[in-house]
Formats: sequence, structure tokens, C-alpha cells
Amino acid sequence: MTRASRILLVDDELSIQRAVVPLLRSRGYEVEAASTAKDALAAVEERLPDLIILDLGLPDMDGLEVCDRVRQRWEVPIIVLSARGAEQHKVVALDRGADDYVTKPFGPEELLARIRAALRRVLTEQGPQTGQLVRGDLTIDFDRRRVLRRGEEIRLTPKEFELLVLMAGRPGLVLTHRAILKAIWGPNAVDQPEHLRVLMAQLRKKIEIDPARPRYLLTEPWVGYRFADTTP
Amino acid sequence: MRRHSWATARDLVLALGAIALVTVGFGQLEVTNPTIVALTYLLVVLLAAALSVLWVAIVSSVVAVLLLNYFFMPPVGTFTIVDPENWVALLVLLVVSLVASNLSSSVRARAREAVARRDELSRLFDLSRDILLTTESENAHLSLARSIARRFELDYVAICLPGHGEWRLHEAGARSLVLAQGDLDTALHAAQGTLEFNARERAYGGHRTVRSTDGAEVDLVPLRLGGRAIGLLASAGRSIEPGTLDALAGVAAIAVERVQFLEERKTAEIDRQSNELKSALLASLGHDLRTPLTAIRLAASNLQAGWLSEEERRTQSDLVLTEVERLSRLFQNILDMARIETNAVTAEREWVVPGEIVDAAVTQVQHALRGHRLEVSAEHDRAVQVDPRVTSSALAHLLENAAQYSPEGSAIRIDAAATPEGLSIVVKDEGPGIAEADIPHLFERFYRGREARRHSAGAGMGLAITRGLLAAEGGRVWAENRPEGGAQFSIAVPGAIRPEEFQPGDTP
Repeated sequence: MTRASRILLVDDELSIQRAVVPLLRSRGYEVEAASTAKDALAAVEERLPDLIILDLGLPDMDGLEVCDRVRQRWEVPIIVLSARGAEQHKVVALDRGADDYVTKPFGPEELLARIRAALRRVLTEQGPQTGQLVRGDLTIDFDRRRVLRRGEEIRLTPKEFELLVLMAGRPGLVLTHRAILKAIWGPNAVDQPEHLRVLMAQLRKKIEIDPARPRYLLTEPWVGYRFADTTP
Repeated sequence: MRRHSWATARDLVLALGAIALVTVGFGQLEVTNPTIVALTYLLVVLLAAALSVLWVAIVSSVVAVLLLNYFFMPPVGTFTIVDPENWVALLVLLVVSLVASNLSSSVRARAREAVARRDELSRLFDLSRDILLTTESENAHLSLARSIARRFELDYVAICLPGHGEWRLHEAGARSLVLAQGDLDTALHAAQGTLEFNARERAYGGHRTVRSTDGAEVDLVPLRLGGRAIGLLASAGRSIEPGTLDALAGVAAIAVERVQFLEERKTAEIDRQSNELKSALLASLGHDLRTPLTAIRLAASNLQAGWLSEEERRTQSDLVLTEVERLSRLFQNILDMARIETNAVTAEREWVVPGEIVDAAVTQVQHALRGHRLEVSAEHDRAVQVDPRVTSSALAHLLENAAQYSPEGSAIRIDAAATPEGLSIVVKDEGPGIAEADIPHLFERFYRGREARRHSAGAGMGLAITRGLLAAEGGRVWAENRPEGGAQFSIAVPGAIRPEEFQPGDTP
């Protein structure tokens, strides 16, 4: 990292700002805080941050609306903070362009891990994936379209390979069912989650040592899946 | 319907007078042709039949026949009839008079019946309109009984509904009668079984006439919905045709069902509101618990991390304390709310001076008032009999609210005094005031004004708690905007007052 990543924290709760800002600064990030959607959009306009942490319950505008407005013009990763426990809010936020979410109350490590994953996504997405990706004992060879576990090849169907590449390309970040369905089967398939369930089960059977307790392909209940970030 | 006897007697006199006039008139004019006289008599008899009752016409026709015979039939001056043709003539006059009278009288009877029927119909119509205009389920049975008594000019009307082992009677009318429960039971029981239509009376079965305990005749008609009897309609004072009574009972039954429907809808509405309350409480807790918890968790781990400067360390521990304070206030609010919701707040009145209540309230919410100037003007020389704990808690919520919605550094003014009605406390702030649209809803549970949504320290409970606490001691609270800007909240608690003779510290 040549310069410190700049993070914009948007939350109307001053207590959250007071706790999060020093936490992020201590990890070397540059932090700016905004309490309203208006201030947040102005700050983005003025100096595009590397990442936005966005609370959905803002006083002057729905957080989702902010998400939309940012997405219309910029690719900057967005992590949604939600006090709403309801999963559909998270899914809607993710489907409308957010990269990930953290549910309040959250701990520091959870937030930091999501930030790292989201920032990394920007780096990995530059250019088509070539070469090899090593995750734990898995090696994904993009050029030869092969997957190896401890040097042993695992035979995958083209769809299984596509799913694995999609997931492994965004380690640590959640992918909603809709997003995966759209990427692999096209926009018409977004309402057929059973396709994904079946494919995920097949892929886990081949990749995971214990498919019932996956280490790589993690389930985010009611939301989607996440490729494990921490290197086992 | 019988006409009054004096009117009938008058008709008879008039008819006989007319016949006498004809007799004298023709005698004077020396008209001797019996045919002309007979036709004139017939005209009088027909008029009598058309305008009066049947027997007046019959008497008139008999008198006319006798007079015709006596004065105009040869031999004149006697009742003797020589010519057999004259016998025939007399007989024909008599028969024609009788038949015509009969016809005319039955036509009139039918017309009278039609008028009566129209009259009953319009009463029924008015009654059904009364019922349709009723939207309130409260006292609806009573107002139904009153409408029936008024529209049908009855002395006594009762809607009798069987309850659990006991009849519920909704009575109206000028008289008050006592009905035997046994009669009602029997009538309802009989009505449950039979649903036969009596074509002659144009009425369904189940009609009964019973005597009240003081001997008055009371008509009982079943209230039927479909084939099922749901109660009885009792009426006295005027006998109503069975068919009409049936129709009346039908309308009343529909009204009773409507009342039931309104009641059910009301209950459903209350259920819905209570569910709304629960989900509002959950949503509000979701937000108001998670935020302080997150802040505390992060600040605690920041404190642990050891990379903080001394100043940052103090900021983080302040943050923890503030948020814990916020959580405990929230917790207290939830408890208060639950106590109010379950009517667990009981007022225990004591003699207390207004100043003490203000002091107690200010102490309770000291933390929230830190950033504001307090201007207190409270009475200390008269005591008022209110519940000091409940009242000061209510005031504390108002103060907290005032501090929350007015800028830091501004003044909050408290005026507390004993008035002839009891205790009066006014809290004034220098905030932006209250949006007009919010004023009517301000004291509703979980209501937060447009401005309030910006702030998040409260959960929309404070003002509702104020109202709930005060209501427990018969007090009230209201809000208004001050002409010079800012909001003003007023508390009024009714209670006795007395001069405070004891100095603070003395025990009364």
C-alpha cells in the first residue's frame, strides 16, 4: 500500500463515530466521518474515498438511496452498517450495490476483516483473472481451468468451476443468491435459488473435506455465500 | 279500526236529519212521485255509507223505507201497502241500500288498512335509517330500543338477549315493566323450534303475549337471524299487527347483529393496535439497544488495545459511561412503559411542596441537563396532595425531552406552583418548537416528530410515559408552542392544597 486507504464513515450516531474513528485510525486508515446523507454525498463528490461505511438509518435519506446514488457514478466499495436485524434489508442493500454488511452490534475484528476484504476486492478486480490463486490447501489455476488440493486435481464441471472462481475472486465478501445466480445463469435465473443450492452442494462435496462443515464456501444464512477469507 | 262512538252518533243524526229534510222538502213541494223520492233517499243512504260506518247506512235505509211507505206510498199516512208493485219497490230500495253500503264500507276499510300499512312501513323505514346511522357499538342496544319506542309510539320496548344464565334487557319507553325470566325462557325456547309461516296473519310463529309482573300485556317476538332466534323483542302500549311486528323484529335482529359486528371490529382494532405496539417496541429496541451496545463493545476493545493516548483513553471511557447511562435509561423507560401498559402504576398521595417535586425530577435527569441552564421558580410555602414519585418521574421525562430538543447552552425554565385545582408545572425550552402536525401525536407511544428522527437517544417513549404516569393520578400533560419561540409543556395534577406551616426539615 503506497498510501493509507481513506475511509468515509457515514453514521448519525455520534457514539458510533467516536468509537469507530479511533479504531480505524489506529489501523492506519485515514478516516472522515459524516452524520447525514447530504454531508456524505458531498464528501464523496469532493474527494472519493477508497471505501464507504454506510449506516442504513440516516436521518435525511434512506441509506439504500445513498447506496444507489454512489453506485450510479462510482465503483467505491460500500460496507453497510445495519441496526436492522432483518435479513431482507441486508439483501436489498447488497443487491443495490453494497459490497458487504456488518450488523450492529459488531466487534472491531469483524469490521476490520470486512474492510480488508472489500479493499482487496478493488485490487483483485483490476484486469481478468490469470495465473494462480492459492487459498489454504486449494490452488486455482485460471489459465488451465484446474483446481488442485494439495497438488491433487479436483475435477469440476464448467459451472462448478465458474462458481468457485466467482467466490474465490472476492474472498471475505458476501455474495447474495441473486448476484451469484445472475453471474452464472444470467438475469433470468435470479428467482431460481434451487439451481444455486444444488450446484453449491456439488461443489462443496468436491472441494470441502467435510461438506457439512465447510471451510471455504461459507453460508450466510438467508443472504448468500461467502468465500472464507482467513487462510486456514 | 273502530271510530269513536260519538262520531258515529253524529253521523247517524246527520243521516237521519238529511232523510227528514228530504221528506219535509218533498212534502212541501208536493212531490208525490214515489220513484223520485225513493231515488233521493237512496242518494242519502249511499252518502251515509260512503262517509260513515255500515250500520249508520243500514239504519238510514230502514228509516228511509218506512218514511217512503208512510208519506209517499198510497194509501198515504199509513204503513199499509195496497199495490204489490210497491212492495217490490220498497224491497228493492232496501236491498240496493244495503248492498251499496256494504260495498262502500269494505272499500273504506281496505283503504284504512292500506294507510295503516303505509304508516307502519314508514316507521320501519325510519327505524332502519336510525340503525344504519349508528356507528358506535357503545349503548347501541339501548338506542335501538329507544328508536323502536319512539318510531312505533310504544310505552315499553325491550331488546332481550340471553346471556350466560341471565337475560340482558335493554329497555326504553315511558313505562317500566318487569318481565318474568321464565316467560322469556319459554318464549325463546318455543321460537328456537318453530319457523312456520302463518299465512293468515302474515307472520312467522313464535309470537307470544305475556303479562308483566304488574299485569300489563307484553308482546314478545323472537329476534331471528336466518332461522336462528338470537333473542326477543318485547313491546307494550300499542298492539301492532303480527306481520309488522315480525318485520320490526327482523330489523331489530339485523341491528343487534350489526352491533355485534361493530364490537368485534373494535376488538380487532384494539388487537391490531396492541400488535403494532409490540412491533414498534421491538423495532425501537432493535435500534436503541444495538447502537449503545456496539459503541460500548468498540470502545471497550479500543481501551484494551493500549495504543491510545491518555486523552483518547478518557474519551473512550467517557463513551462507555455515556452509553451505559443511555442503556439504563432505556431500560427504565421500558419498565415504566410496561407498568403503564399493565396499569401497574398506583398513585399514593402525600402532602408535598411543588419545589420538592422539581428537585427530585432534576436530580433524576441531571446527566441529561448538563448542557443546559436551568431556571427554576417553584413554590415552597403551600403543599399539594399528589403522588410525589409519579409526578416527579413524569416531570423528569419532560425535562429530558426539553434538553434533547433544544440547543446546548440554552435555558430550560421550570415554573411549579400550587393552584386552587392542584399542582401546576410548566416547562419551557428555547428549542425550535414543535411542528404543528406533530402536536396531536406527541404523547402517543413511539411517536417521534419529524425533527426527532434526527436524534436517536430516545425511543419515542418519554412523553408517552409522562402521560401514562400522570393519568394514574388523574393528571394530564399538554404541549404548545410559545409565541416567543420554543416549546412549552404543562402538567396539571388535581389535588387538595394547604398552606405549609412547617419549615423544611420539620416533620409534620
